[in-house]
Amino acid sequence: MNQSEMSRAKRHLETTGKMKEMLPRFFMRMMERRFSNEPLAWCMVGVPPELLKAFDLLFEWPENFGTMCASRLVAPRFIEVAEGDGYSPELCSYVTNTMGYCKLFKEKGEAPEESPLPGGMGTPAMLLGSGFICEPRWKWFQSVATRFFDVPVYSSDPLAPPWDIDPADPKIEEHYLTLLREDLAGQIEFLEKQTGKKLDLDLLREIMALSHQALAYWRDTLNLRKAIPSPMGSTDYFHAIIPQMYLVGDQEAVDFYREMYAEVKDRVDRGIGVVEDEKYRLIWFGLPPWFNMGIFNYLESLGAVFAYESTYNVGDHFEVDLSDPLEALVRRTWQRALKMHEYGAEAMPELCNPAVFGGFVGSDLLAELARDFSLTGAVMHLTRSCRAVSFGEVHTRNRFAKIGLPSLIFESDMADPRHWSDAQIKNRLHAFLETMDKKQKGDL
Amino acid sequence: MAPDKTTALEKTGMTNLNEERIRQIKAETGKPVIGYLCCFAPPEIISAVGAIPCRITGIPGGDTSAADAYTEPYGCTYVRNILARAIRGELDFLDGLVISHSCDMVQRLYGLWTYYHPLSYSYLFNVPHQVSPWAQRFYQRELHFFQESLENFTGEKANPGIVAEAIKTNNLNRQLIRDLYELRKAVHPKISGSEVLDLLLAGGVLPADHFKQLLLKKLEEVQSCKPEGSPRPRVMVWGSIIDDSKLYQMIEKAGAVIVADDTCIGFRVWEQDIPLTDDPYVGLTEHYFVNFQCPRTDRGPGKKRFDYLVERARQYKADGIIGYVISFCDPHKFDYPDLRDYLKIEGLPMLLIDDNYSFEPAGAIETRLQAFIEMLG
Repeated sequence: MNQSEMSRAKRHLETTGKMKEMLPRFFMRMMERRFSNEPLAWCMVGVPPELLKAFDLLFEWPENFGTMCASRLVAPRFIEVAEGDGYSPELCSYVTNTMGYCKLFKEKGEAPEESPLPGGMGTPAMLLGSGFICEPRWKWFQSVATRFFDVPVYSSDPLAPPWDIDPADPKIEEHYLTLLREDLAGQIEFLEKQTGKKLDLDLLREIMALSHQALAYWRDTLNLRKAIPSPMGSTDYFHAIIPQMYLVGDQEAVDFYREMYAEVKDRVDRGIGVVEDEKYRLIWFGLPPWFNMGIFNYLESLGAVFAYESTYNVGDHFEVDLSDPLEALVRRTWQRALKMHEYGAEAMPELCNPAVFGGFVGSDLLAELARDFSLTGAVMHLTRSCRAVSFGEVHTRNRFAKIGLPSLIFESDMADPRHWSDAQIKNRLHAFLETMDKKQKGDL
Repeated sequence: MAPDKTTALEKTGMTNLNEERIRQIKAETGKPVIGYLCCFAPPEIISAVGAIPCRITGIPGGDTSAADAYTEPYGCTYVRNILARAIRGELDFLDGLVISHSCDMVQRLYGLWTYYHPLSYSYLFNVPHQVSPWAQRFYQRELHFFQESLENFTGEKANPGIVAEAIKTNNLNRQLIRDLYELRKAVHPKISGSEVLDLLLAGGVLPADHFKQLLLKKLEEVQSCKPEGSPRPRVMVWGSIIDDSKLYQMIEKAGAVIVADDTCIGFRVWEQDIPLTDDPYVGLTEHYFVNFQCPRTDRGPGKKRFDYLVERARQYKADGIIGYVISFCDPHKFDYPDLRDYLKIEGLPMLLIDDNYSFEPAGAIETRLQAFIEMLG
């Protein structure tokens, strides 16, 4: 790894720029609460943040912490500690980052000095996992609680029907909805026990209403990227997911996404694109290389802009009746599972997403996206340590080939820059752009 | 998808023999063959509805290039191996397929296999990752859905009585296998680990009554066996799927005797009888879900989850544990540091072999095995 090859992202929107003030404010509020010894929950994406908010629970996301460690280039330090402890380099680098961090934390009795957040991730009082997306998540908190923090763990298990089962069959629907309902009830029982608070359904309803407002603005913003030139690129996209993780259910998040929508809409109206001469419009698959987000700006300098990303995607619009907020959470999860199914889920996990955003693009959706977003190609990041997200990229490439859309798969990792080979990756990206040139000229 | 004619078939002896057996049984009985990976979808249900359950195995070290056009290079080599076999047409004796969501890679294999290479029958048996009461209820419902879909395929209905009979028949074999394992507790075991594994592999493809004959024959054969010499170091094998006895032979050649195991095709499946409950699906749930010790199922934090393993090592007087983990096998790889530390506390040394399902380079693996076994001696 040559650190000089890594570059931070340059963002284009003023709204995302404001996060420089917004996030430190949020983290300071968190720190104050931690110093007051409020219980802290470590959570995984897949846990409905609305629920955490309804319990007024202090929470931290080790996955997001992993992305911050990656972007500050300190993840290799933590990952190497975990590898020294016996964790294979093949394992999810978000997990190994956490395991190395925890080991150093326990040895020092405080957050390691390299930690990107002030005070790092604090000592958890509970761990809230979710099997959404992948199986390393089942082992992650199990190991954290076994080796480092002997605290209660609850992991939810949101299953969805496989691609060739008809989810509209009432028996199948009830089979899965029953599990989702019972699992949610188990999660709430755990939270009530750990926090000593009863869930306030009225509060949850209000939080969900605000959360869905924010999501609606975010979804509408992403749809504005169909415009040519594309008004927003990946550096803003991947940065703008953060408020939805930390500020869900807050008016602050609604205001943020409303403002972002207005800014992007204005750019569309005035024809302002991410790049002046937009030559290539791309779709991104996989997790981004958080340690080198400047790669998106590098591509922009060559006239390439991403108009759609498969990961951390807010997904389609869903209609849920909030009168019963718990049933609304279940129905939201189920509606997403149905959409995933409808879009072609043969290369996807049979797990659905109870959280606010997720990932994956169904294979039957590809042609629609290519048309609606005027795509000229697809770039797929094959992350060695995250097979869950990168699995299916070869299949997606095959499906794109059928509709004549060129695609590139390149290998690296989401958090571990040791897997980044700068010259090789850039050579491949250049060659791919040339392929699209030839295709546009009709030479291919 | 046309079979890849450029790839040589590198079948090992047992795979070849077992697949010949299944073809022959299929021709004799006219029954459909349902292939399965992992046993969360119980083979007893497959046989109860008039089909032949057949555990699909790979070819360690075999060519996986046929899978490259459909899946990523970074993934379980065992799964890639199975997919390559399916693409090459080597598994054309299967009439149907059931894959359970045991691990992520196997679950993803199902999607790609059935998308590119559809079979007359296929079913993804969804399995929760924890054994909460609601997860058990889900699993039990899934048993019924699976049975119903198979009945629609074979045209044969199985009532709970027929399922209970299938369980009883297989339990007889479980007793015979326990008898074989019992022999391994002796200072001089009358049967080797590799012989037992070959038998269990045959049990994965043979109908229960055929398998019973094979087990009885072996039990009779080994009774007259009188092994002599100095006792050898005793090891137990833990880890991912081992569907070829080559590794066991390497361990035995290196000077140890394999007295017990905790792997996918091993004692995990056969150790206990399936409980004969009034509702047979309750017994199947207990056996194949609640009590089935696969690290893909979350049993909460702490090292107590390995107690069964330490107890087994003690019962069989193992001197050490040899772990075998296939590349990209997340459930086992995540458990390794916790297990290693626990075994250390329990005074059981452990060697981990991290392999890409090839047992290569054999020389390097043999050297490590020899060093470990010498240390145990």
